[in-house]
Amino acid sequence: MSFGFPLGLLSLLSLAPILAAYFLRRRQKPRTVSAVFLWRTKSQRAQAGPRLQRFSREASILLEALAVVAAALFLSDLRFGRTVEQRHLVLVVDGSLSMAARPPTGKPVAERVRLEAARLVERERVGLLTVVESGVHPRVLAGPQVEATRALAALEKWRPQGPAHDLVPAAQLGKELAGGEAKVHLLTDGPLPAGAALPPEVELTALGQPADNLALVSAQRRDEGELAVVTVRVASYCGSSREVAVRFEGPSPRLETIRLEPGATAAIRLSFPGAGPISVALPDDALIEDGRARLLPSPVQKVRVRLLSGLSAAEAAAVRRFLEVAPGVLPAQPDSGADLTLGPEGSGATVQLGAKGALKSFVGPFFTQKHHPLLEDVGLSGVLWTAGDNPNGRPVVTAGDTVLISEEEGALRLNLELSRSNVQRTAAWPVLLGNAVRRARLSSPGFQKRQLTLGEEVPVVTEPGGSYTLEGPSGARAVLGAGAVTLPPLSPPGTYRLLRDGEEVDALEVLAIDPRESDLRDRGAARLPAKAAAGIGLAALADRRAVWPLVLLLVLLLADFSLTARER
Amino acid sequence: MREVDQAAVERACAGVALALPNSPHRGRVGEVRAASVGSSMEIHDFRSYQPGDDVRQMDWNAVARTGELVLRVRQDEVSPRVEVVLDGSKSMAVSEEKAARAKEVALLLCRLAARQGLDPTLLITAQAPVRAIGASCQAAILRAELDARDSLGDSLRRAPPLRPCGLRLVVSDFLFESPLEALADRLSRDASALGLVQLLDAEDLDPSGGVGARLLDAESGEALERVLTAVVLESYRQRFSEHQRLLCGAAFRVRAALVVASAEEGIERLSRTALAPLFEGQAKEARAR
Repeated sequence: MSFGFPLGLLSLLSLAPILAAYFLRRRQKPRTVSAVFLWRTKSQRAQAGPRLQRFSREASILLEALAVVAAALFLSDLRFGRTVEQRHLVLVVDGSLSMAARPPTGKPVAERVRLEAARLVERERVGLLTVVESGVHPRVLAGPQVEATRALAALEKWRPQGPAHDLVPAAQLGKELAGGEAKVHLLTDGPLPAGAALPPEVELTALGQPADNLALVSAQRRDEGELAVVTVRVASYCGSSREVAVRFEGPSPRLETIRLEPGATAAIRLSFPGAGPISVALPDDALIEDGRARLLPSPVQKVRVRLLSGLSAAEAAAVRRFLEVAPGVLPAQPDSGADLTLGPEGSGATVQLGAKGALKSFVGPFFTQKHHPLLEDVGLSGVLWTAGDNPNGRPVVTAGDTVLISEEEGALRLNLELSRSNVQRTAAWPVLLGNAVRRARLSSPGFQKRQLTLGEEVPVVTEPGGSYTLEGPSGARAVLGAGAVTLPPLSPPGTYRLLRDGEEVDALEVLAIDPRESDLRDRGAARLPAKAAAGIGLAALADRRAVWPLVLLLVLLLADFSLTARER
Repeated sequence: MREVDQAAVERACAGVALALPNSPHRGRVGEVRAASVGSSMEIHDFRSYQPGDDVRQMDWNAVARTGELVLRVRQDEVSPRVEVVLDGSKSMAVSEEKAARAKEVALLLCRLAARQGLDPTLLITAQAPVRAIGASCQAAILRAELDARDSLGDSLRRAPPLRPCGLRLVVSDFLFESPLEALADRLSRDASALGLVQLLDAEDLDPSGGVGARLLDAESGEALERVLTAVVLESYRQRFSEHQRLLCGAAFRVRAALVVASAEEGIERLSRTALAPLFEGQAKEARAR
């Protein structure tokens, strides 16, 4: 004997008040009378005389106690050793965006998947069903091992909106949930890519249908001053040349018509005055989702720069020359903070400039740390660099034993004597300082990008001490970690808001754009049987909740009611 | 424990006398004609003289007329014996008032019998039955413990037998389930007249309501759970009326006088009201009714 829900046994605690009431009644104030027989009802006198009355209260408490036990057995889901084995099937459904396609003829692919699932349940006489949705991270939609009707109900709410991904991990998960040897059904909309190796127990059923589709394959927006520049690229996955009307909804709606050859793409760049979101829409086709984009304002964030005192005239002049031409840079006001500071060695600035000690000159190229963001596109070949003693920090650029650039706790130290160098007169100088400005810009709180495509990771910067929450179409979740954090790809597509202590900090839009999912020309119906002769799995669980304790409970309650009513 | 008010009993005796039966069974020489022959002035019969007869009773006129020795047979005159039976069951002591009043009624009856020169005999059917005669009746009543755990009918089986008497007076509440007709038969046996005094407590006559209570039978200890609603009280009253009707029928069948007295009333008032049918004057009226 076992219990499916042992916590139900807690209902036995209700015996305590019932017994307490019983004993309190026993202690009811006695009243001596001359003739008890005059107080009896006729039925009691006729049936059993005085004994019935003495017995009835004990019988009532016995019935009530048994009723409580029956209720506890029902609530705790009493099971005996005998369990009913039920057939268990694991379904893996493709969660990619192309599964939401609505071919011009026939049912939508997702609806076909639901019908196929119901047909499998009926054909295989399945009692328990587990549904896994594939994706970048596979997840269990229903189950494991829930009643087939409940699993099918969960499948009704399923909306495939994921990026293109490998189906194999989901198939592996399904295989494990099936017990290792039982058959797993994988429902998708087309053939697997070449080289994909499904587990041999997996039977693949493709339910797709080839269809022409027009899609946005990229959409970007950049706000420069009062002007929003929108760039979209439209691709045609059609069998013939198509004329496409691209509709822009925003402060000033626009309609652009382009002609696209099969497989070709075309870019449209438009400028819109004013702020506010701008929506882009293609004509409805087989996959509507990839023809819609909503572009949030994404102004270039200005970086506030401050020059600290102590720089030599040559150093200050070199820096000022850069700042005068650098885009998105503002001199910091005296009474406000700065995102980037430049100053002499030892000043605590973000970028420290200067050399001390014995000076030595070097000619590039130098040893540089690979892929360092500050050195991106910085060419130091042929550059004359005069440096002094090695500065503190982690070396970034070195020449022999001499450290030319080091980095320590976010501060960049340029061991450079400009009066004896020509770095400031080469292209490396503005690029190096531009990288420093970009890093300062990216270190401000919020999203680094405001338009993301499906499956794209989300870089976000948070400040220590704040509680950040990401609120999206599927709910809210906490953003853990401080500083530059990279979040996993967001799904489903839609608008996501970053909240700090309940107040909105930033927002981004995840666009339903994935060129690999938009091409529906190769989709089709197919069936690939399992390579291994696997059968339907059996699950020894889920014997249905026994009903007899409930029936017993009702009978006992009725008997108790009858007994106590007779007393009245 | 409430004491018996002997002074009140004494006052209640004033001016009342027990109504005696017309043809008492037996008794000492007295004023009432007996069923047996005796020496009163009333001629009962004539018969031939037998040796040993009192020659003073010879009817000489008849001897002269007939030439045979004819003897006058005169009826005896007796004072009838009175037997008072006090129900000693626990239900008679369900309240102190009821117990005291029962003893006072028994004492009143004994005193009246003694005053009338009758021969009172007392039987208390307690757990340890008590029989007393004459002057010892008072002391027996005052000492009596009303502690029998059975009904009057059952306790009479273990008590000393009832004696033949002229008047038998039974003080009880008659609230028991045993057949009342059989009990009345038994009580009327060997008695010329039977008087039943049903003494009831106020709660017996009109029980008070209220919340739930555990009703305990005074004698058997049987318990009964009841919420004393108006419906339950009405049911009790109906059942009580039915019981009283059965008691009246049983008393009528054996020609017994049945009086119902409430323990709430004092003994003096009872002797003028509820108990009056047992006394001279009202008894004739009652018999006439």
